[in-house]
Amino acid sequence: MSESLLEALDTKTQRRLTSTILLTLPMVLLTAFMYVGGGMPHGWRATVPMILTYVFVNVLFFQMLRTGRTDKYRAAFFITMAITFIISFMTNLIEMRGSLVLSAADMAKGETPFCHMVIPMTIIPAALTRTIIFPGRILGGFADVATMFTLWIGATLALGRGFCSWGCFYGGLDDGFSRLRKKPLIKKISERWTYLPYAVLVAIVLLSALTLSPTYCAWLCPYKAVTEFAAITSSTVVVQTILFYALFIGLVIVLPILTKKRTQCGLFCPFGAFQSFSNKINPFEIRINRDVCKDCQVCAQKCPTFSLDRNSIENGRTRLSCMKCGRCVDTCPKGAIAYHVKGTPLTFNSQRARLLFIYPAFLFLVVFGGGMIRDGIYRILLLISTGSMIR
Amino acid sequence: MEGLFLGLATGTACLAYCAPVLIPYLIGEGKGIRQNSLMLVVFLIGRLYGYLLFAVLAWLAGLLIGQGIIYRDLIFGGTYLVLALLLMIYGFSTSERYCPAKISSSLSEKFARLWPSLLPLVLGFFTGLNLCPPFFLAIAGAAKTGTLAGSLWFFLLFFFGTTLYFVPVPLLGIFRKFQQLKMVARLAAGTVGLYYAYIGVIMIFGGVKRL
Repeated sequence: MSESLLEALDTKTQRRLTSTILLTLPMVLLTAFMYVGGGMPHGWRATVPMILTYVFVNVLFFQMLRTGRTDKYRAAFFITMAITFIISFMTNLIEMRGSLVLSAADMAKGETPFCHMVIPMTIIPAALTRTIIFPGRILGGFADVATMFTLWIGATLALGRGFCSWGCFYGGLDDGFSRLRKKPLIKKISERWTYLPYAVLVAIVLLSALTLSPTYCAWLCPYKAVTEFAAITSSTVVVQTILFYALFIGLVIVLPILTKKRTQCGLFCPFGAFQSFSNKINPFEIRINRDVCKDCQVCAQKCPTFSLDRNSIENGRTRLSCMKCGRCVDTCPKGAIAYHVKGTPLTFNSQRARLLFIYPAFLFLVVFGGGMIRDGIYRILLLISTGSMIR
Repeated sequence: MEGLFLGLATGTACLAYCAPVLIPYLIGEGKGIRQNSLMLVVFLIGRLYGYLLFAVLAWLAGLLIGQGIIYRDLIFGGTYLVLALLLMIYGFSTSERYCPAKISSSLSEKFARLWPSLLPLVLGFFTGLNLCPPFFLAIAGAAKTGTLAGSLWFFLLFFFGTTLYFVPVPLLGIFRKFQQLKMVARLAAGTVGLYYAYIGVIMIFGGVKRL
């Protein structure tokens, strides 16, 4: 009896492993094509990062499929992407402009890299004045407006606000810091503050339309602290710089550590608030099986983005701000939470919806972040071997 | 009629300057279209007072605004700070509104009862004192008239010209069913207040430096 059971289990394990390998294979081939499609790189400093990135990406994806856990492996990629982005961005900027300092001349030349955070601020002024209120290049050059818009539209259709957990190259920072402590020191945050990102969105959209300048970038972006900064030429720039650092330390480092939540993404980021509305048109969502749910609230406690509360759990859905990171799906002790494709029957035991979501999501992460990780590793190797990260 | 045409020509800019204050306030109140229209009228009356005060200042241009550029930053920095303070109290205060059931004759409670009706008037007044680009044109136009009456008449017509663009604003009342939007709008008013506070402080520092 027990032998046949072991045999059946073995067959089941083998079958599962085979299906995992088969499901990983397209990613293995796609990433191989992506990394060596343009030919093998020359020199060990370029080859090693390529191999490391390739292995890293595919091992994570394989593990994601094998274990059925999403958030753990997503986060490993997401956090690595954020760290290597900073390394890669800063060194590229120094190579391109000679400095991390953004001068008035650089802005006049349109050499400010465009990032997705600016998108909500550009819409009203673009409609009114037919101009993009950002001192970047529309086409060509490093991080131009057209490329970022195209990537954003693609990600929005495929992932909705999932972009914030699978595509944003900043999000990995507060995600990483939120994982440093085992237990949170601050447990209660008033629900009122979860509306702040929408308020910041309203304020910056109105003020950007009023001043015809990207207000968020000029005043509130915490990530200015780790990317580029304006040349300090006046007391205004000094105040702006102090604000950037204060927001970065507060929202990206200190509060995530104390709360175990992604406070910048969940309590402040106006782009995230803007992106939330795309969850309405995106085909993927997270659903809670009310028949199985025991109302233990573990998911609400664990959700790093304030996207689950008592009300939403009672309704069997997440809040609009859900970033589809998969933490709730992984942590629900009853397995009552699952990815779901809108318009299809609610079958909570099926892995199909999860697969349908993580394939494009992971692929987007690979496309967006693979290059950053590769370049980041390259820069680190360059630093070790030559003493400088700059070519 | 120059004031009217100038108002009509630059009214969108005026709306853009008032929108960060007016839109969060109206949505934050969560009222219907009719009540929004009333609040808008009160706001516009406040704005008219601001404009008329400007008319007097424009008449006194040589004393205060023309040569006295030193004081300009102090005055407008101060108005920005008052506006910022009002918006921040409105946006971030968690206290409940005055309860009409509590009957008391103390002055502070009478004020508390009146305050919700006064707020759009005060907001309108201080928004009206914002130094936006159309205003520079209007000041120049009004100063040219040379008399106090001419200056007042110029600003009155300028006010009517710009007011046309505010007509659709009460339609924001269609969002009143969304309770969350009310909270978002109030927080947005507070955030805009923070921005104005900074602008005010910078202007005052600039003014003090020039003294």
